[in-house]
Amino acid sequence: MLELNHIYKWVKAGGRRIFLLNDLSLKVESGEFISIMGPSGSGKSTLLNVIGMLDDFNEGEYYFLEEPVHTIKEKQRANLYKENIGFVFQAYHLIDELTVYENIETPLLYKNVKSSERKALVADILDRFNIVGKKDLFPAQLSGGQQQLVGIARALITKPKLILADEPTGNLNSKQGEEIMELFKELNEEGVTIIQATHSENNAEYGSRIIHLLDGSMVREKSETI
Amino acid sequence: MNKNYLKIAFRNLWKNLTFTSLNILGLTIAFGVAILLSTYALFQLSYDEFHENKDSIYQVYSTDQLPDGPEGDVSKSIPFAGALQEEVPGVEKITRFNGRGVLVLNGDKQLTMTAAYVDPDFFSIFSFPAIKGEKNNPIGKKSSVAISEAAANKIFGHTDVLGESIRVITEGKESPFTVSAIIEDMPDQSSIKFDLALDFTNQSDFSYADNIGDWDKENHEVYMQLAKGVTPQQFEKSTEAFTVAHYADDMAAAKRDGAQPNAEGNYIQIRLFPVADISLAEFKNGIATANKTMPFLVLGISFLIIFIASVNFINMSIAKSTQRLREIGMRKTLGAGKSQLFFQFWGESILVFIISVALGMLIALALMDPFKTLFNTQATFSSIATPEILTGFIFVLLLITLIAGGYPALLLSKLGTIQALKGKLKLSGKNRVRDFLMVLQFGIAILLISGTFVLHNQLEFMRTKDLGFNKEQVVAFALNGKQNDTRTMQLLRDELEDKPGILQITAANNILGLGKDGSRSTSVLGFEYKGRNVYTNMLFVDYDYSETIGLEVIQGRSFDRKYATDSLSVVINEAMARTIQEENPLNARIYLDDSLSFSVIGVVKDYNFQDLDNTIEPITLFLNPERSTRYAYVKVSPKNATTSFEKIRAAWNKIEPNAEFTGSFLDENIDRTLKRERTMTTIISSGAIIAIVLSCIGLFAISLLIVAQRRKEIGIRKVVGASVSTITLMLTKDFLKLVGISFLIAAPVAWWLMSKWLQEYPYKIELNIWIFIAAGVLSAVIAVLTISFKTIKAALQNPVKSLKTE
Repeated sequence: MLELNHIYKWVKAGGRRIFLLNDLSLKVESGEFISIMGPSGSGKSTLLNVIGMLDDFNEGEYYFLEEPVHTIKEKQRANLYKENIGFVFQAYHLIDELTVYENIETPLLYKNVKSSERKALVADILDRFNIVGKKDLFPAQLSGGQQQLVGIARALITKPKLILADEPTGNLNSKQGEEIMELFKELNEEGVTIIQATHSENNAEYGSRIIHLLDGSMVREKSETI
Repeated sequence: MNKNYLKIAFRNLWKNLTFTSLNILGLTIAFGVAILLSTYALFQLSYDEFHENKDSIYQVYSTDQLPDGPEGDVSKSIPFAGALQEEVPGVEKITRFNGRGVLVLNGDKQLTMTAAYVDPDFFSIFSFPAIKGEKNNPIGKKSSVAISEAAANKIFGHTDVLGESIRVITEGKESPFTVSAIIEDMPDQSSIKFDLALDFTNQSDFSYADNIGDWDKENHEVYMQLAKGVTPQQFEKSTEAFTVAHYADDMAAAKRDGAQPNAEGNYIQIRLFPVADISLAEFKNGIATANKTMPFLVLGISFLIIFIASVNFINMSIAKSTQRLREIGMRKTLGAGKSQLFFQFWGESILVFIISVALGMLIALALMDPFKTLFNTQATFSSIATPEILTGFIFVLLLITLIAGGYPALLLSKLGTIQALKGKLKLSGKNRVRDFLMVLQFGIAILLISGTFVLHNQLEFMRTKDLGFNKEQVVAFALNGKQNDTRTMQLLRDELEDKPGILQITAANNILGLGKDGSRSTSVLGFEYKGRNVYTNMLFVDYDYSETIGLEVIQGRSFDRKYATDSLSVVINEAMARTIQEENPLNARIYLDDSLSFSVIGVVKDYNFQDLDNTIEPITLFLNPERSTRYAYVKVSPKNATTSFEKIRAAWNKIEPNAEFTGSFLDENIDRTLKRERTMTTIISSGAIIAIVLSCIGLFAISLLIVAQRRKEIGIRKVVGASVSTITLMLTKDFLKLVGISFLIAAPVAWWLMSKWLQEYPYKIELNIWIFIAAGVLSAVIAVLTISFKTIKAALQNPVKSLKTE
């Protein structure tokens, strides 16, 4: 599905380079569920941002669905992630001024989906996540777990091939966290590729492969036999 | 999609109600005021545009090269127009025009009205359509009169009056006329206005019949329509032979007296000035130019006001945007493109602008009437609502919205995704833009405030200046009754002379300042004095003139009934004494022609008989009770001046019960001549007030935001021991710095502009640094007061509270 070859990313501080990603190579196959672990500042979020094309890198090659991300233009890149990637954040990042329904609908608006189709899609997903009754509430009226549920629903509405989740359970209690992870597992079984960054060993175990990062480099990789 | 944007826009505006209302309030005021001001300016610029032939109609004037420099002259002699049409190719149509106040009689009714004495071509040159009666040539017969609808209503009470007859008295000559046409009322933007139009030849003999064939006596204006294919320049050039043929004597005299010819070597040049610009005409070096400073100044001020309000909008939008960074970042990860984000934010701006423009229009509509009174204008929306102006208006609005709304939108849409998601925005660069805009804002405010001070001082200076005559104690009024003026004066004297409080009575043929009747004239006499041409203003006066209005006789004496020869004597002012270059002016004798000469019996101190934008010119006072009687002057004692005024009114009403009493004290007359300055002061000062109010709204909003941003810092500072005053000072200091910079920029600009403006006036105040410092200090004080609401509150707050919220 995607392939990173010798990715470097650095920032300059006082004339010296501080590496955020240091010679990182990674290949992800379709249908995988990857957990990225590592201490704070090890580059987990940076890696996810690079994979999600939200952030640039300084050196290396990145192929996403055979497309060379490092050479294509900004606009094509935006299309690529718009079509294929859904994001889930630790802080949910719902738009406060929009209701649950409208938040979930927003990505469809940016993809210029027709109104009737939008309605059907949003209704489906509300149904699936059991939040039909909450559709007219604003984010501030929901609990953290419910907000994250909406966040995931919003990420899934465009039927992405890849979900990038940056500490999706970081702001949740353990029970809520578990529910979200179960949901991810379910989605993964349906064929969605998932890459999550996490601090929690337990959550990491949901993945089919765990990658450990330290100072921007991969230190070890553990695969589970499925 | 758009519905989503609209929804979020409304919710956002609602959520930030304080800022939304401050923004809408500021923009509404700005748009309201700007609409009114530009209505005024466009109205000024739209004068005389309604004539169908406006591109080919010109007023004919000439530039005379005199020893003192070139002088413009719009007055023409009786044979001029006819000869010009005959001798110079390119005259399609031509008309003489003499507008004057006449007395209209219909039965017992007697009304003072404005008559236009014109040639038949007048109605085909200008677009004053007849709505009833003779349409093509309303004054084809000598005894015909065309009257305006309004005049018809005044004289007859209705407009169904074709064939009715009226009597008209002009300069003592009474003649009957038959109404041949009703003219549609002239638009407000017409420089030429009249109640009735009469054939030119109907004037009194003194004005017309006596001067047929006389090229020297110039007493009316001439308008012409240029033939197709002839440019004004070509025409002006082709008049050379004409001037040589008819003005040879004048040109020779000018040459003899040492006048410099113009660039083409001519001493008299006939020129054309487009009628469409005539309301703004002004002579510069003898050449008429359209002075559009005033309308453009007003337009400029309205743009400045909108600019200030837009700056508020930009500053607030950018400052508030930090709260929306997460939304922006999120939308980007959800697939929003730059342009989509731009249009979303721009849409929100448009919403605010639409609301403000709509409210501003309502305000402008509501304030139209007081505005008209305040600015002394007839401007209305309908009078300027042409398609071009409306299109322009919409275009300007779109442009403003694009810039003021688009700039913050552009900044926000350009943010990097990650940066936005993290909610961090490097503020240093943006602050510079904000500071720059605020400096501009305050600079404009300081500029307008110092302008207000200077204009106001100058106006007061001119109003209270010692003009060389007694303006507080003298009442003047027009002798606009039916009776012979000399007789009226006699009756007045009989009626008033012994009354207590009435000191002296006299008359003259011109007014000082501008009377309630709104008319005044200039009479210039040119004659040869010891081999040079000499020009002087002339005034016919009655006995006691200099005593009544309080002129100071510095040499010789004034007119006295004791001397029978005084009817052949003149009194001159110092400027005239200098002009005739006589060691003892009392020895001078003025020869008007071989048989008529006057001896100088007295010299009066220079006094300002003209408007204060003129230096004092030579004037010669002739004693002629018969011809002097157009205005009566009565000096009253300072005690009970109002009672005396009422006595004068009562006397007038007794003598002329049907004629309006137009009396007013001379200082009121002087005030009337300062209308332009007064209007300008009103415009600048209202601009200044609006500018400072708007700047303060912006400042207030920014102070709200800054205090919110530095809440934690303020808390920490208080915990470590800062006092309320040091914190207030710290918060205020930054703003004061901006005001200081604005002052440094604005003060020199204001100084330069003001000194340039004052140059027009020979009598002016000295510019004083304190005026500008006062403006700066005033702005600073207002600024500090505005922000102190928030800063003091912030400084007083319990630090535990502000720290806990973190």
